[in-house]
Amino acid sequence: MEMALDLELIFRVLVFPGFTFILFFTLFCDWVERKVEARMQNRVGPAVAGPAGILQPLADFVKLLTKEDIVPRDAKKLVFKFAPIISFSFMVFALCFLPIDGASAIPGAGFAGDLVFIMALVTVANFLLFLSGWASANPYSAIGSARVLTQFLGYDIPLFLLALTPAFLAKSLSIAAIAANQYLPFILLAPWAFVLFIITLQAELEKDPFDIPHAESEVVGGLETEYCGGKLAFLHLTRDVQIVFGAALVVELFLGGPYGPVFFGLPVFWYSLWFIIKLLAVVVITEYVTCLFARLRIDQVLTANWKILLPLSVLSLTLTVAMATWIYPLMV
Amino acid sequence: MTSISTRLANKVTWARLKSPWVLHFNSGACNGCDIEIVALLTPRYDVERFGIKLEPSPRHADVLLTTGVVTTQCAERLKRIYDQMPQPKFVVAIGACACSGGVFKGNYTVTGGVDKVIPVNAYIPGCPPKPEAIIDGIVKLLNSLKEAKPDDSK
Amino acid sequence: MGNGVQIQSTHLGKASIQIPAGSNRNVVKVLLETDKNAGISAITGLDLGEKIGLMYHVRTNGVIVTISTELPKDNPQIPSITDLIPGANFHEREVADLFGVIFQGHPNPGRLVLPEDWPENLYPLRKDAKIDELTTRPATSSFSKGAVQSEAESKLVNIFVGPQHPALLEPEKFSVKVDGEIVKAVEPRIGYVHRGVEKASEQRTYLQDVYLVERICGICNSCHASCFVETVEKILGTEVPPRGKYLRTIILELNRLHSHLLLLGHAGLEIGYETLFQYMWRDREPIMDLTELLTGNRVIASSLTVGGVRRDLKETDVPKIKTQLVILRKRMDFYQNLFNSEPSLRMRTRNVGTLSKEDALKLCVVGPVARASGVNMDVRKDEPYEAYGEIPFKLITRSEGDTYARLMVRLDEVTESINIIEYALDHLPEGPYRVKVPRVVVAGEAVSRVEAPRGELFYYVKSNGTAYPERVKVRTPTFANIPAFLKTAIGGSIADVPANFVSLDPCFSCTDR
Repeated sequence: MEMALDLELIFRVLVFPGFTFILFFTLFCDWVERKVEARMQNRVGPAVAGPAGILQPLADFVKLLTKEDIVPRDAKKLVFKFAPIISFSFMVFALCFLPIDGASAIPGAGFAGDLVFIMALVTVANFLLFLSGWASANPYSAIGSARVLTQFLGYDIPLFLLALTPAFLAKSLSIAAIAANQYLPFILLAPWAFVLFIITLQAELEKDPFDIPHAESEVVGGLETEYCGGKLAFLHLTRDVQIVFGAALVVELFLGGPYGPVFFGLPVFWYSLWFIIKLLAVVVITEYVTCLFARLRIDQVLTANWKILLPLSVLSLTLTVAMATWIYPLMV
Repeated sequence: MTSISTRLANKVTWARLKSPWVLHFNSGACNGCDIEIVALLTPRYDVERFGIKLEPSPRHADVLLTTGVVTTQCAERLKRIYDQMPQPKFVVAIGACACSGGVFKGNYTVTGGVDKVIPVNAYIPGCPPKPEAIIDGIVKLLNSLKEAKPDDSK
Repeated sequence: MGNGVQIQSTHLGKASIQIPAGSNRNVVKVLLETDKNAGISAITGLDLGEKIGLMYHVRTNGVIVTISTELPKDNPQIPSITDLIPGANFHEREVADLFGVIFQGHPNPGRLVLPEDWPENLYPLRKDAKIDELTTRPATSSFSKGAVQSEAESKLVNIFVGPQHPALLEPEKFSVKVDGEIVKAVEPRIGYVHRGVEKASEQRTYLQDVYLVERICGICNSCHASCFVETVEKILGTEVPPRGKYLRTIILELNRLHSHLLLLGHAGLEIGYETLFQYMWRDREPIMDLTELLTGNRVIASSLTVGGVRRDLKETDVPKIKTQLVILRKRMDFYQNLFNSEPSLRMRTRNVGTLSKEDALKLCVVGPVARASGVNMDVRKDEPYEAYGEIPFKLITRSEGDTYARLMVRLDEVTESINIIEYALDHLPEGPYRVKVPRVVVAGEAVSRVEAPRGELFYYVKSNGTAYPERVKVRTPTFANIPAFLKTAIGGSIADVPANFVSLDPCFSCTDR
């Protein structure tokens, strides 16, 4: 049987809005984050590599790829070598399901329930990060990766409950459907869920005030301590792609996805532009919040999750259901 | 017409020059040099402009900034940290004590300057050197790498 | 008080008492009866040729009383006073390390400042230990295995922090024994920065020693210089001219400003508050500029010398200093607001590492750590030196004794320092700023104290009539404060250890010398 080379599929998956776009966009978001952090701290940030330092993350990436590769003698070799890159692949794969230019990278890949599916993919990716720290045979990595797992698994639950709010409002568990059915962006219909989602996202992405897995003063390099060279590059990339993924999720669930006014020409171009603008806005907001706060202790982080965020997310869902069933039909 | 491999090598050198990650280790210093190094990250000097990041783990760093004389207790630790760093790596000895032992030369727990333990690529004298001097030293080190062959890793 | 006790008045504090070796515990008991808050400021060892001299410098009612005794060199044993005054623990260990004195009944004897592989029976500070012999001893490996060990019998996990650790600017090692997340014990291993300053100072002239002791610690360098030159001036009987005293005061207060701002920013870094760190250090840079304006150097001022200061202050520079101080004062209002209202900062520092007032007095802590636990102790008020007797300022104390209180005490002291500098600038007397002193110092001994940013700094200098000192003893504030950290860390969470640690403002180059 002959299989025709589907050039469009290959282009979409490998170049735009697939792998290459995600890679370079992640590096660009890294630059945006560093600049926001620097300006908040009254500094300049990267400025020499390329115009305004925009090539800095690329320089970091290339430099790391060309460093000597060291594998500790006591490390679990297979897991140590491959967990970072598999984790990165899972994240990129999850991103391929989000409609970026009006359709997802793999056309027709969306299905009812893919919201649950991609969140499961991200959970597996984080578990692989934990494994890479565990396989390092370094006590600081062990502590750091244990903290990653504790924090991520804990905050996954309120995150999912909060993600159900837009699902309920759109009456579908498919991301493409949620993004497309936002006659009004859900941030306006359920602002409480948006605020809580951003806070929970800070914890998922391990940013201040939930920065513990990367607390240099306590766990040195955390799970990355023993990694160097190319594997470290992919660990950093995984973290950055996770930030992009989290922001993309916010855009799809609350900000109306890539849809926005189309002024002239191809809708694909405008959808991509709106998506990028909204995503950058979310990235800037999360980075801004990061700069404002100190780091909480692990027990304070866990208290915040189980005693505050979890009940609040249940309440948020209840409130949304109530509003949607009785109030909103009167308004539309 | 430069070959592809030379052009690639040039790009790699470019990346290495634009992104020197540093590890700071105090092997017996009075803190004077250390606070000037930490001051480099603060708004007035802001070396993040050059892509310099302070890394927590020896495995992540390209450049080892050492300050202070090497006391006998620190000598082995310094060597161990140097060995943990992946190639290509560079060592910068900051301050008079790191260069040669400073005012403490000859004391009973002082091994001497840093080059008695590990090879040093750049010496920045001063007691302590002003942050401008430290930046100047690091920039001179990076420029000297530009002249070296791209695969010349020490 | 028993027989054999002689009381003299010398430069060794308010009073100096000579006692026989066996009665040291009785004397300390009597002292504690008269003043139950008496604490050990330092314990000095001396090589007197045939005998080893031991001096207990006791701090009582704000002044120093020196109790001296002598021990035979071939068998220097003396009962320990650690059970009476727990703060004497580290002091006795140090004398044991460097002189070979055996303190009977000491709870945890062991190496303190010398390297782990230092040979037995080799005591560097004794006169018969020549430096050339000391530097040529064979090196052995001094590594301990692994960074985490589980002690199966006690079910505690032992986590080693240091010597290279991003939280620590300096090398030192702490082994923290935890049960889950709760800290059960902390053992420090210091001595990584021991450069043998006290021995080296005997090989250099007094003037060269000023440059040497300045480099014990780059952060509080002027305080070390000022304490040393004050002690030498006491021996010589020199009176520094008033202008010199005021200029010294200004330099010392600038030193305090930059040190406190440094510490507050570093505290921000430890609790993950990078923005605070960047802002604080940005506001600290003008202080470095002012120090450079006044002394010619940003960090190590090298401006104090025996007899006065080396450089004068130009009239045209006074307005420059005042402008910067006004700007800094406004920034301090911003930080006061921040520390009072920022929730994540307060969550990390309130009720963390609490040190009660009784513990603070028993462990003989000094400086802001003591003042944050309600102890009214400040050398500038107790025994004014330089121009502090003429300058009015407030003593900042708090009663909670937790990390937050320790940071707030320093924050308030910044404002007080600004007040002191402005007053000194307004009342700067005319006249000479230094006097000439002889190169050869008459025989004698003296002690001196200075309030460094971290606490009371103590110097003892003995001269033998030549151009080289016979003995220089340095007791730095962090040396006295480390036992407090060991106590406050126990029972807390391991996640609190960095914040707790940084609040005591540790400086290990001071501790190890």
